[in-house]
Amino acid sequence: MIPTISATALSRRYRDQIALDDVSLTIEPGTVTGLLGRNGAGKTTLMRIVTGLEFPTAGDLRVFGEVPAENDAVLRRMVFVREEQVYPDFQVRHAIRVASWFYPNWSEDLAGQLMADFAIPPRRRIKRLSRGMRSAVGIVIGLAARAELTLFDEPYAGLDAVARQLFYDRLLAEFAEHPRTIVLSTHLIDEVADLLEHVVMLDHGRVVLDAPADDVRGTGMTVSGPATAVEEFVAGRTVWHRQRLGSRASVTVADSLDFAEQAKARAMNLSLEPLSLQQLLVHAAGVSADEKVSA
Amino acid sequence: MNTLVNVARYHLVERIAWLAMPWGILAFSFLVNAVIAATAPVPAHGFYTGGLASIYVFLLICGALSMSRSLPFGMMLGVSRRTYYLGTGLLVLVMGVVFGLVLTLLQLVERASNGWGLRLHFFQVPWIMDGPWYQTWLTSFVLLVLFALYGVWYGLVFRRWSLLGLVTFIAAQMVVALLAVVAISLSHDWSAVGHFFTALTAVALTGVLAVIAAAMGAGGLSTIRRVTV
Repeated sequence: MIPTISATALSRRYRDQIALDDVSLTIEPGTVTGLLGRNGAGKTTLMRIVTGLEFPTAGDLRVFGEVPAENDAVLRRMVFVREEQVYPDFQVRHAIRVASWFYPNWSEDLAGQLMADFAIPPRRRIKRLSRGMRSAVGIVIGLAARAELTLFDEPYAGLDAVARQLFYDRLLAEFAEHPRTIVLSTHLIDEVADLLEHVVMLDHGRVVLDAPADDVRGTGMTVSGPATAVEEFVAGRTVWHRQRLGSRASVTVADSLDFAEQAKARAMNLSLEPLSLQQLLVHAAGVSADEKVSA
Repeated sequence: MNTLVNVARYHLVERIAWLAMPWGILAFSFLVNAVIAATAPVPAHGFYTGGLASIYVFLLICGALSMSRSLPFGMMLGVSRRTYYLGTGLLVLVMGVVFGLVLTLLQLVERASNGWGLRLHFFQVPWIMDGPWYQTWLTSFVLLVLFALYGVWYGLVFRRWSLLGLVTFIAAQMVVALLAVVAISLSHDWSAVGHFFTALTAVALTGVLAVIAAAMGAGGLSTIRRVTV
């Protein structure tokens, strides 16, 4: 099967900065992939190259097996919803109508439903919408297009928690009914953790993690309890983070613990807590969660 | 082809910019000139105005604007740069045909009514738009397309190289014109240039304009190739 996206040694340099550095990855059809990383990690640049908005400096990028830049046959099979999307000075309903012309699988019903769900005023000029509402317009277009490859780059800037949940629910329902390849870039990792099947993490333009989400979730465990017992238990393991409070300690280890080890920990009166995807990625980026919070 | 038509339709969603404004401004210009013609003493050959230029200038603005806010949304919807340009070009050609026809009809009315009863030659321009109706139509069409594509090119240069690029673009055109003037002066060939223009018929001039319009199109198409949004 031809991968939906495949990058080989892909690089993008700007005058004084390397946005993507030797990126190689594959995204299979019919998956939901989380594209994660800190600000400036290269997520947007990668999506811009995938959608032909930007050109690579070196390396090869293919979408549906072909180079996407200026390739109408490939471009028309995708939709790119991004945070800073610029719209012409027209009304919401105009944007929706125009979008419907370009996508053969466009769902009028879904667009109408989503407009109602997000309470978007159809006759309002887009530039008069609030930030959240403008994001919602992008989401409506992205989902209703039913494009084979749907890319969301921080699609919900300014959207409240309820609206975000609505987006996740709709995305899942749509994905179940009309499977497609979805790439979602976001900072709200824990919110989307359950949606993701695959995780790609970029840091300083490089891929630092590229794995099925389930594999990622299994790694990393925080062991807490009496300090001596904790230290005894974690001896010989890769420690990501250590915290002591009086006689108690809490240590985060990189390994996944099998059933016997978990039983052993309980016997030693230690409590175990798996790391969330967000915590894992913070560690993967080489920054401890506490340092980040206190910074 | 279908996508090209969709790009053209997409521009027309902003009807005010592409349809209402050019004609609204032209109508305003006409009214101002008509009021002057009705009140001022009539010159020997009637009134000649430059008011018709407003519609051409406004098409230049429309062309430039079509590459500013509309392009990023078009590309969000999976339209390639080339297709976006060609779709815009299709719209420009169709508008050139239709607008040119309307201008020709208005000129016919003007001629039949002895300049709207005011001896006002608003739609009639000596030499260049003064011949049979089909010639006026052809010249109007070519000029409308030329101005719109010129505007599109300006819009693209600004998108790709921003203000510095725009200034360079304008300066480069001036340099080319200057070089031509210097070259002609040095070779003492001004009389030849004069002969060329006096010998040039309105139809031949339209041909020259068509070549320039085609050059504008080629320039815009090569500029959009690596525009990023």
